[in-house]
Amino acid sequence: MPWDRVWEHFTLVMTALGFIIVIGVVLGVVSYLYPKLSKPILTIVDVMQTIPSLATLGIIMVFMGGNRRTVIIGIILYSLLPIVRNTNSGLNGVSPAVKEAARGMGMTRLYQLFHVDLPLAFPLIFTGIRIAAVTSISVAVFGTFVGGGGLGTVIYQGIRVSSMRQILFGTAALMAMALLIDGIMGLIEKRLYRRIGLQMPQE
Amino acid sequence: MTLQHFMDTYALDLLRAIFVHLGYVILCVSIGTVIALVLAVLLTRIPKISRFIMPVLSVLQTIPGIVFIGILFLYTGMRPRTVIIALSIYAIFPVLKNAYSGILHVDDKYREAARGCGMSQWQMLFSVEFPLAMPSIFVGIRMTTIYLVSWTVLAAMIGQGGLGEFIYRGVGTNDNRLILMGAIPAALMAIGLGALLDKIQKKLTPRGMREPEQSTQQSQLNAQEGEI
Amino acid sequence: MIEYRDVVKSYGGKPVVKGINLTIQEGEFVILIGPSGCGKTTTLKMLNRLIPMDSGDILINGKSIKEQEPELLRRNIGYVIQQIGLFPNMTVEQNITVVPRMLKWDKERRRERAKELLALVDMDYDTYAHKYPNELSGGQQQRIGVLRALAAEPPIVLMDEPFGALDPITRDSLQDEIKDLQKRLNKTVIFVTHDMNEAIKLADRIVFMCDGKILQAASPEEMLRSPADDIIREFMGKHVQRVHMEDELTCSDIMRHRVATISPQRRTLECVELMSQREVNSLIVVDDDRTYLGIVAIEDIKDRGVAGETICPLIRTDVPCVETGQHAKEAFRLLMDMKADYVVVVTPDKKLAGIVTKSSMSKAMASALWGEG
Repeated sequence: MPWDRVWEHFTLVMTALGFIIVIGVVLGVVSYLYPKLSKPILTIVDVMQTIPSLATLGIIMVFMGGNRRTVIIGIILYSLLPIVRNTNSGLNGVSPAVKEAARGMGMTRLYQLFHVDLPLAFPLIFTGIRIAAVTSISVAVFGTFVGGGGLGTVIYQGIRVSSMRQILFGTAALMAMALLIDGIMGLIEKRLYRRIGLQMPQE
Repeated sequence: MTLQHFMDTYALDLLRAIFVHLGYVILCVSIGTVIALVLAVLLTRIPKISRFIMPVLSVLQTIPGIVFIGILFLYTGMRPRTVIIALSIYAIFPVLKNAYSGILHVDDKYREAARGCGMSQWQMLFSVEFPLAMPSIFVGIRMTTIYLVSWTVLAAMIGQGGLGEFIYRGVGTNDNRLILMGAIPAALMAIGLGALLDKIQKKLTPRGMREPEQSTQQSQLNAQEGEI
Repeated sequence: MIEYRDVVKSYGGKPVVKGINLTIQEGEFVILIGPSGCGKTTTLKMLNRLIPMDSGDILINGKSIKEQEPELLRRNIGYVIQQIGLFPNMTVEQNITVVPRMLKWDKERRRERAKELLALVDMDYDTYAHKYPNELSGGQQQRIGVLRALAAEPPIVLMDEPFGALDPITRDSLQDEIKDLQKRLNKTVIFVTHDMNEAIKLADRIVFMCDGKILQAASPEEMLRSPADDIIREFMGKHVQRVHMEDELTCSDIMRHRVATISPQRRTLECVELMSQREVNSLIVVDDDRTYLGIVAIEDIKDRGVAGETICPLIRTDVPCVETGQHAKEAFRLLMDMKADYVVVVTPDKKLAGIVTKSSMSKAMASALWGEG
């Protein structure tokens, strides 16, 4: 039965991560395309992460009730920051020479975004995704308090019944998941950077 | 129960909870910071060993605070001490990590200049290394403070008060007002403390070290790992 | 007085300094120079114990530096490094008074000292004292770096390539300032550089090091005249030849031989035609046996020339003129002072030999410097 919880935790995180990536990248792109919006967007996302996650979950629960959906929304709100910020600074970091070349060739803004800016910013965006994934794994622990299940439930129950074994199992599973995901994504990240390093844009 | 009545009933409790919460945070951040700074100085003096210790600490940092409190609770029981020890330990990591890398990244030219001026190890530490590492240390303290506002909510899990009590009770009795009564002050506290620390940092940073907005951003880009 | 006695230092079994003996007098400006890896910086840093020596001893006024606490020793020896290393968290004034503060001078005295020091380099106290290092230019920063080293009035100042990171113009003016300060304050300065220009300009004595040993310690003059070793000769290459050149280059070495000439009997229109063919605006007038008579310039023809007349009345004789055997320097001086396009060179019996133009001069100098042709 604890293994179910591991799976539950994992799916919780992955579902949330899917939303986070989409929302985060979109917000990052918007903040890049409309520099005026960049400060408010980044500030709001920053504040989201400042609020204690249990408080966020509690507030969402008031509106959505205690269930998985609440936890997923909580994770999304909490973990947006790294992706939004890295998307923004990744896009802004694309060399002005490259951007000028793209414009000079007659690319439209949107075409340039998809064919030049985003591909070049991708490694940094990926770093954001990796950080968000690890953060999400930790936030999901709180899910248990609003009826979302996951490994938090295992740990919390362990505390309540004074079962060191259960606490340790929950913790170990949690850390293993975090380290594994971080490790795998870290490897991919390295390759991404190397690839960009090798074939700097000429097309 | 009308809202008026509700507020009357809980106003005092809320005030007390806020103070308890804030007290835990300030106390544990202080304890954690002092320990972290001492450890950071020690670790920077033995960089060869630290290269192995730091990654281990980073992994330990990914253990959620709930586990610290939980395990300690099994040993030391339902007491404030449990919360304080657990949160203080948790507070060490971010500060330690940032202070360590901050001190380590102080450019050697400043050390050479300091030594050339005849500073002793202690003088160098206090008038050169700490001040130059301060921006980085401060990032750590800010992170720790915000995490701790979050983790202190868990004190209520073992009956030790704070704003978490309202959230727990609210979740347990399905009373949304109680949840909000805990959650909103907790949120405001985190935001407020974050803003306050930003202000303090701005005040404390000498003009000579103020320019690079980029570098703070850079450290924040990497600072998000392994926490809640 | 500073005495190095058989000082030896090695890193991981590899000797870097192999038994140095050197005595430096009070008030002397000594420059350590040599190819990179020769041990000059190590030699410098052993003096304030930033680098411990393996064996041998260094005495300052007869007292071994080993008997002194390193920190106390360093507070009495000024130290300037290439990377400047001003503390970014301190203002200019705080930076300058770092050592006095450690020596527990009171506040008033420190402020006075800061004012005094800033005045030394013509920096206004009110303007600069409360700035931070990043608000200064590189040259200003290094001035403050030097002042920091001078603050506690140490009799000895060590400088490790202090101007290496500055642009040439700033470097030049800082060199002048440091030399001036050293003279005025009678400091003993030990200065590491790899720039021979700098060494020749500043040093009372140049200590040339190679492979951990001193090859020659001599005044710049002496080292230039008689370098003790081929390595030194090579290192100073161009400078040695410069002395040579100054001594021996004559006007005939630097002149151009092919010159557009004209005889005084020619007429104005022919003259103009000739000028346009040769693309010049003046011609040297010589008679049949090449005796130099003067020049004729296009302006004069334009102003006063009459078509069909000879150019005789238009000949100018106020052009700068030197003899072949004269020092090249003389031609150079004339060229610069008179703002003339060229200087005419004549043989002792007043025959035209050639002209010196700016380009002929630079060509000659280039070939003297680099031996090209």
